[in-house]
Parts: sequence; structure tokens; C-alpha cells
Amino acid sequence: MSKFFKNLFGALSDKPWDKEQMAIDNYHQGKTFDISNQTSAVIVIFGVSTVLFSLVVTGYLYSVPVGQDTSYLLKPNLLWLNTLVLLFVTYFFNKVTKSLKKNNTDNVKNNLIIVGFLSYVFLFGQLFFWLQLMKSGNYVSTNNYFSSFYIFTALHGLHLLGGLFFWGIVFSKVRKAEQTQIISQKKSIEALSLYWTFLLIVWVMFFLIMYVFNDTVVAWCRALLS
Amino acid sequence: MPDEYNQKNTPLEAQSSETMSGSSGSTTDIDYVRPAEVPEQDLYHGHSFITKWVFCQDAKVIGIQYFLTAVFTGIVGLILSWLMRLQLGFPELVPFITAEHYYQFVTMHGMIMIVYFLTALFLGGFGNYLVPLMVGARDMVFPYVNMVSFWMFFIAVCVLMASFFVPGGPTGAGWTLYPPQAILPGSPGSGIGIILMLVSLSLFVIGFTMGGLNYLITILQARTRGMTLMRMPLTIWGIFTATALAMLAFPALLVSCIMMTLDKVLETSFFMPAIIQAGEVLDYGGGSPVLFQHLFWFFGHPEVYIVALPAFGIVSDLISVHARKNIFGYRMMVWAIVGIGALSFFVWAHHMYVSGMNPWFGFFFATTTLIIAVPTALKVYNWIITLFKANIRMNTVMLFCLGFIVTFVNGGITGIFLGNVAVDIPLSDTYFVIAHFHMVMGIAPLMVIMGAVYHWFPLVTGRMLNERLGKWHFWFTFLGAYSIYFPMHYLGFIGVPRRYFEMYDSPYVTSATGLNEFITVAALIVGISQFIFIYNIITSLKMGKPAGKNPWKANSLEWLTHEVPPTHGNWGENLPVVHRWPYDFNVPGAKEDYITQTTAPSEVLGAEVEKT
Repeated sequence: MSKFFKNLFGALSDKPWDKEQMAIDNYHQGKTFDISNQTSAVIVIFGVSTVLFSLVVTGYLYSVPVGQDTSYLLKPNLLWLNTLVLLFVTYFFNKVTKSLKKNNTDNVKNNLIIVGFLSYVFLFGQLFFWLQLMKSGNYVSTNNYFSSFYIFTALHGLHLLGGLFFWGIVFSKVRKAEQTQIISQKKSIEALSLYWTFLLIVWVMFFLIMYVFNDTVVAWCRALLS
Repeated sequence: MPDEYNQKNTPLEAQSSETMSGSSGSTTDIDYVRPAEVPEQDLYHGHSFITKWVFCQDAKVIGIQYFLTAVFTGIVGLILSWLMRLQLGFPELVPFITAEHYYQFVTMHGMIMIVYFLTALFLGGFGNYLVPLMVGARDMVFPYVNMVSFWMFFIAVCVLMASFFVPGGPTGAGWTLYPPQAILPGSPGSGIGIILMLVSLSLFVIGFTMGGLNYLITILQARTRGMTLMRMPLTIWGIFTATALAMLAFPALLVSCIMMTLDKVLETSFFMPAIIQAGEVLDYGGGSPVLFQHLFWFFGHPEVYIVALPAFGIVSDLISVHARKNIFGYRMMVWAIVGIGALSFFVWAHHMYVSGMNPWFGFFFATTTLIIAVPTALKVYNWIITLFKANIRMNTVMLFCLGFIVTFVNGGITGIFLGNVAVDIPLSDTYFVIAHFHMVMGIAPLMVIMGAVYHWFPLVTGRMLNERLGKWHFWFTFLGAYSIYFPMHYLGFIGVPRRYFEMYDSPYVTSATGLNEFITVAALIVGISQFIFIYNIITSLKMGKPAGKNPWKANSLEWLTHEVPPTHGNWGENLPVVHRWPYDFNVPGAKEDYITQTTAPSEVLGAEVEKT
């Protein structure tokens, strides 16, 4: 990390008009970071979406609901199962990238199918959980907790759907491809894998803050505000 | 997606301190450049009219599309400002301007000018046109996404304009759209109008994110050989930092738009406290209107710099080219741009001094606000020192640059007034604030836009704009803008409040009436004088003097394409190779007073830049 900052700030202190610096600069290849464009795109989206999700949580914590009724949520429910599914998705995506490194084409194809399938399972699980919530009388306008809950899970789901769109594009190419062509999709697959890891991190943060340790976090915020 | 970089075959040896460490290579050949290691980008070449000019993937065409759409919304915004001024200068002269309509004009004028005009024009327009050209790329890294970005913007504009034609009209809640009044009956356009505004803004943010992704990655990852970060023109630094700010600030706008839409449509209470309306208890409760203010200004303040930073960058390049001198303190200029960008996320609550915040909170934000003035002032000094003893060409472009500096300093100084809590509170919500922000983020960036159009028009069209008309346009705009906004400072000092439809027989009337009439007449003249500009553009397209290659004798890459105007793919067979920074003007020992970025050292053997 320190090397990264050294490089970054080192670059900003270059004197481009100096003869010695010019000699060095002429060797520059034009890229700042040694990563593919696809991975760069995922990292940028990572930054943008992190701000988006953080602001939803900050908004929730800012107007900490008084006397929120979250008792329904405290029962064991689908959220645990969905979290598990998402963990499995990341696990299988890891297997995809490992198989890619070993050039194991069949494994790449099979694990990509599992990744897509489990992601849809997660989405349907979320929809089902929403239905359960609504059946128990907890709608988006019930209180600020549920408003934030619905909006966060909806945004997360939309991100996953966006990811699945690109997964579809990559998978349709990989499905028919021979080994050499799969290698050409390597960077896209690696970028997708990074994206799914990001979605898992977002989900885990949400799961901990707004579900598992919700009461503790709310109590802490109240103490901070008072 | 084009796959550009073959990691297997290309261990990146190091080039500058910007990337990984390694040998810098030693060779006796002073013109030596590394062979190209990055495969060529695959471009989609459209053949039909639709793929060439409508759903086009060429960043230059997309830039022009952004530019024209933004200018169209800008003209709508200009007309709205005329209507507002007519009411303020000559109350009740135009019968259809009712109080409701007035508030709708105020709201739409503000939102259009800031988001749909200035932001779209600088980043969408200039960003798309200039980024690939100036960094030596064939196009943006994701051309298809770039095209979708423009069409999202276009749909956002259509949705916004549609709100003029729905029952109840567009929202009249002020451009800040503060809840609860924005979505409650009683405010103009609190029905469909506000929903369309929120949907339009959300579409804008999504579209912009696609564009921003392209600008950032193209600048970071797709530069040509030899183009280090510190060899980039300041225009690119400005656009890069502003895009980074936008990518981090716009999510706040998106979140607040989504939340407020839900508050309106599904009766959630993100921003809505318990409310009794006309004796009836509404279903809302538990939300915080101040939360919206925080979210809005967390976007709103960086937004000022999203507009200002590209203007800073562009004006630096224009000044350097037209004063034939290298920009003074290039590194400081870069640091200032980056520094201002970082600091802009820590000043947002200075827009909320009157929201009843904790005094320590106000103290913190006043301090950060004054700190951000330091790098900003540094830039002003550097522009002035660049001009000092320079070989200034007093053409239209330079006039607009000088106009920018004066206006920006003026608006900046009033900003220091308003940054202090104790001074801000009495001046808050008066015409002083209107004068301040119109000077600093209205007229100043506009001066840069106009200078930039005069500067780059020859590149885009191959013809020069008419200088005589340009000078008339400048003097009308510059003196006119001062006639409008300078008196407003005085109006603010005597306490005339902003956002008031009419003063009726308040004590302000006697001292403010004459000035208000004067301002209105000036506003009408300045507005009409913009048609000189439009006339100039239209006639010069066909009848302007042919520009030829590099008419301003500039150094940066956009002027060095094989064809003018540049065609799709920008460069001929080979990408340009960069040997120097873009500010080698009047270098001692050189034959010409400029050395382009692609000039190899052996071609200018005697030339040596003085040590700085």
C-alpha cells in the first residue's frame, strides 16, 4: 500500500520539463496501473457504489427510528440462508478463477453456470423474503427501518442484476468457446469475480449493521447523538 | 470490450515514478521510445447516417451531441431567467407570470443551468471531445457505454422538459428541492412535476456514471506512449478530477432522489417529520428534512467544483497558448486541482449555516471553507504570473480568459465573506448570495466555455470564428454580466431577500426599484447578445476562414491529428508518441515559439527549457 502511495505522490512530484525526467518519461507506456480495463471499470464502480450504499446506511443511522418494531426480523429467517447462498456464489467464483489459471475449460464453464444459478437463487430468495415481510405487515412505509431495509436490498439486488447482465454476455461467449477463446475472456471473468466479491462485502456490511447487530449499532448511535 | 493489454508478454518495466519501479533504460538515442506493447483498440465504424451521427460510438460525435443538447437546455434556462427578471424589474407587467410560475421558473432555471447545462457541457461535451484526443487515444475505452451515457442524458433532458407540460407544471420548490414542501400540496408542481424532476435527475446520474467511467479509465489507462500523468495538459487534469468528484458526489443526489420519490409515491418518511396539513394529520412521521439537506449538499458542494475544475484546467491551457508562455507552476496547478477536489467533500455544510446546526459544526465548516480558498487563490496567482511579461495575443479567447479571472476573483472574494458563519447569517437568502454564486460558478465558467469554443471551434469544424463578432460578444457579455450581478451585491447588503416573487410595498422598494429595473434591462441585453455568438457559429460553419492545421500554434496532441477536423479513430495509422509536456512555448534556442508534444528531441537540439 505504501508503495502505491509512493508511486502516486511520486508521480505528482515529477518535473516534466526537466531533461533527466524527460528521458525517463519517454519510456512510459501510457498505462498508470497494471490492470485490465475491465478490472479498472469494476474498481471505479466499486467506489461509486460504496458511496451509494454508505449513504443509505448513513441516512438510516442519521434518523435512528424511535421505537422501531423489528421483532419480526429477529426470528430466524431467510436472510441467513440468502447470506449463505451469496457466500457460496463467491466460493464458486473463486473456483472459476482458479480453473482459469489452470486452463481447465470445463471447470470454468460448469462453475460459471453454478455462479449464475446461485445468484438467481439469491435474488428469488430476496423477493420471497420481501413477500414474507409484507405478509407480516411490514411495508416500505411502515417505519424508517423497513424503508431503509427495502431500499438497501433493492439497490443491492439491482447491482446483482447488472452483474448478471454482464455474466450473461460473458457466459454466452464462454459456453460455445474453445479453450483458447476462453482465455480471451479471462479479464472479463476476473473482473466479474471482483464485482461479485464487492457485492458480498456490501451484503455482509448490511447484514451486520442492519440485521445482526442492528440494536447495538442503534444504541451506539443514540449514545453518540446524545 | 476491447482487450488491450497482454500481461503475459509485457512485463511492465518502469517508465516514470508513476508506475512500478524498474530500470529507466539507458540509450544513447535521444529520440528512443519504447515499441508499442498495447494492441490497437477495435473500433466500431458506423456506415449509415444513424450509426454515424445518431447512435454513434465516436467520442467526438458524442461530445458534440452532449454540447448541443446542453446548449439547448441552457437556452431554455436563459429564457426562464428573462421571465424571472421581467417580474422582478417590472412586477406584474407580464400577466401570466404568477407567483407559482415564478417559483417554477426559479427552480427550473437553477437545476437546468447547474446540472443539465454546465455539468453536461464541461464533462459530457468538452470531456468527450478532448479526453481521447489530448491523451493520444483512438477513442474512449468503452465506446458503447459512452454512447448509452449520452442517450441516458438525452432521455433525462426529455423527462425534465416534459414536466413543463404536465398538470400542475414543473416543480417550484427551488433548485434545492428541500422537503417537506417540495412534495406537499401547496408548492407548485408538487404532483407529477416533482416526480419527473427526481426521475430525470436519477437518469442523469446513471448516465453520467457511464460517461465518467470512460473518462477516468481512458485518462488513467489508455494514454499514448510517453504521456505520463505529469505530461497531461491541465484541461485533462481538471476533467479527470472533476469526474472523480462527480462519481463520488452524484450517488448522494441519486440516494436523495430515490428516497424523496419513495416519500412522494409510497409515503415512506425518509425526509418527512410528522406533519399536520390543514388540520389533517398526514401519514408521515419520523423522518428528517435536515438529512435531505446534508445529502443534497454533500452532492451540491462538490458540484460547484465539478463545474469549476474543468474550467480551471481549460483556462490554464488557453492562457498558456494565447500568452505564448508555459503555465507558471504546472505542478502547483495540478496539486491545487487535486487538493481542491479532495477538500470539496469537507465543506458542504457551509450551505446550511441557518439550518440550526451546532456552532462547533459551523466553526469546522467555516474553517475548511477558508482553507479551500488557499489552493484556489494559488491558481489565480499562477494565471496572473503566467500572463506577466508574456507575449499576449489579445484575441477573443484571451479576452474571455481575462474576463474569467476578473469574474472569478470577484465571486471568490464574496465567497470568503459568505464562508464565515457570522457574516453569512445576515447575508443568507439575500441577493448577495445570488450575486456571489452567479459570479463564481455562473459567469466565470461561462467565460471559459465561450473562450474554449472560440479556441477549439477551428479543430471541430476546420473553420475560424469571426473575431470581430467575437469581441462584440465578449464585451456585451462581460460588461452586461457585471451590470447584472454587481448591483445585486448592494441589493443583498440592504437586505433584499432572494426567492421573493414581489416586494409589494416593503421598505426595500424605494431603494431597490431602480436597480431592479436596470438589472432586468441588462439581463435582456446580455441574453440577446448571446445570439451574436450563435449567429457567429452558424455563419462560420459555412463561411468562416479555413483554419488549417494548428491555427493557434498550440502544443497539445488534439491539434496534431492527420486530418482537421479529426476523423473517427483520431490518428492515422500510428498513434502519436509524446516526447514532452504541452507547455514548451518560447523555449530559448528553439526556432519557433512552440514545440509540439510530438516533436522529438533531435528536431530541437539547441532548445533547452530553463530550470524552474
